[in-house]
Amino acid sequence: MTKIKLENISYVYSPGTPYEVTALNDVSVDITEGTITGIIGHTGSGKSTLVQLLNGLEKPSSGRVLVDGTDIWEKPKEISKVRFKVGLVMQYPEYQLFEETIKEDIAFGPRNMGLDEAEIEERIALASSFVGLDEELLEKSPFDLSGGQKRRAAIAGIIAMKPDVLVLDEPAAGLDPLGRDEIFKSIVKYRNETGATVVIVSHSMEDMARLCDELIVMAHSKVVMQGNCREVFSNAGELEKIGLSIPQVTKLMMLLKEKGVCVDGGVYTVKDAVSELAKLFKIDH
Amino acid sequence: MEKNFIEIENLSYAYDEDEGDKVPVLNGISLNISKGEYVAVLGHNGSGKSTLAKLLNMILTPTSGKIIVDGVDITSDELTEDAMFELRKKVVMVFQNPDNQLVATIVEEDVAFGPENLGYPSEEIRKRVDEALRTVGMSEYAHHEPHRLSGGQKQRIAIAGIIAMSPECIIFDESTSMLDPSGRKDVLNTMEKLNKEKGITVVTITHYMNEAAQADRVVVIDDGRILMDGTPAEIFSKPDVLRNAGLDVPQCSAIVEELKKLGVPLDGDCYSTELCAELICNYLTNVQGL
Repeated sequence: MTKIKLENISYVYSPGTPYEVTALNDVSVDITEGTITGIIGHTGSGKSTLVQLLNGLEKPSSGRVLVDGTDIWEKPKEISKVRFKVGLVMQYPEYQLFEETIKEDIAFGPRNMGLDEAEIEERIALASSFVGLDEELLEKSPFDLSGGQKRRAAIAGIIAMKPDVLVLDEPAAGLDPLGRDEIFKSIVKYRNETGATVVIVSHSMEDMARLCDELIVMAHSKVVMQGNCREVFSNAGELEKIGLSIPQVTKLMMLLKEKGVCVDGGVYTVKDAVSELAKLFKIDH
Repeated sequence: MEKNFIEIENLSYAYDEDEGDKVPVLNGISLNISKGEYVAVLGHNGSGKSTLAKLLNMILTPTSGKIIVDGVDITSDELTEDAMFELRKKVVMVFQNPDNQLVATIVEEDVAFGPENLGYPSEEIRKRVDEALRTVGMSEYAHHEPHRLSGGQKQRIAIAGIIAMSPECIIFDESTSMLDPSGRKDVLNTMEKLNKEKGITVVTITHYMNEAAQADRVVVIDDGRILMDGTPAEIFSKPDVLRNAGLDVPQCSAIVEELKKLGVPLDGDCYSTELCAELICNYLTNVQGL
């Protein structure tokens, strides 16, 4: 079932001025309920503008954003309801922590939703357990936490609103491998346990290959490809032309194929590559 | 190899916490870097790698130990301001966030900022700016506004501003981590070019394996200590040590590791796509006669 539908969306920054820039040009995309959908594209391709349209943070210049079949701008005064339903974690969200304690920061969203204190407490506990934040950290000031912990606290603040759709703009940027894995684990856990739809923007093809069911590829303000990882990563030449790359695994398999080795060139995870090569070496795997 | 350009002797650093507590970050590091070397320093967040960079550029002073740059002890209390000024010209840093490093409203003025501060005559500045922009491949952007450039382009402008001061050593502190794949590639190519063509000593601090694979030497830091020091081939042949240090293993190395566990006797370097494909092809022709 389609959770989010973008219909002929265009978005123009500073229209009518000399600085007019078209960030999105007639974009139509469907995002299926319960999937983890990745958005990839070069810097300035329109990815971040697109995700900011999903929760009504930006309003399209033309076209419609449908969530569960309803145009989110049908009743502009009720746009805040959309923001509870579609939670957006922006780039470097740890810079937006503003409360005196982590706990209060996580409580900000649920409190705005008008929930009672008991429910808010429950949400804080739930959200912090999803992202793996220890209880003792909740009473601390954001200044006393490491970068990775602050990032997780910021994500917890969105998860505490129990959004149907969790949108994350480069959630792992600047984190080391351990920090990155922790964030991704909590995102997958949230999807698996709540059935939520997840949309992730990332520059790492390896991460996207590992995580995503579906990929949307953007270039020059347009969607140029959409499909599962296998379909998208099989277009290596096309991706490189628009400033993107393919996972190292896929590169290896394609190179082997070029050298005349009989392997599937569309493999994109280490696990699949190992089974594919094991077959070649005639090993039971 | 030429004489040591940077000598780090038993270097330790601890941050001050509240109530006078000290948090150790570096625990007795010793490391020599020769002139013209291309070294990648790998480590997870909090391993101490950025602290090391800040010590090298005198942004921090060590708790104990010494750093000698080009024969001068930069950690000495008697270091004069003039000497410090000279050293900051020799060893310069490129930071993580491209937006935090640009100061002017026009690209070429930004690049000129360094040489202007060093007091060069204007013809000399002109020459240096043009040359620096050419080196990073951004000449055609000389009259553009920096804030309208992509992240990778901004980083290359920051690098141009540094080259215009003709440093002997550039330290890149996670300078590609905020860039998209093509921006990262451009900056990595620039690093390689500066090292191979201009002979500039390059130290790149990173947690990206492909970045480290491009260097001549890789130093792995964990828990404020040096865990490994060797060529990329040596470092990437120890996937378990890397994982224990909270780092990734290149996907190709991981595939070969798994195949070995399944009993395929693959033996050789495999950290890059090309090396790995070659290893597999050679095995197929030699052993299986396919």
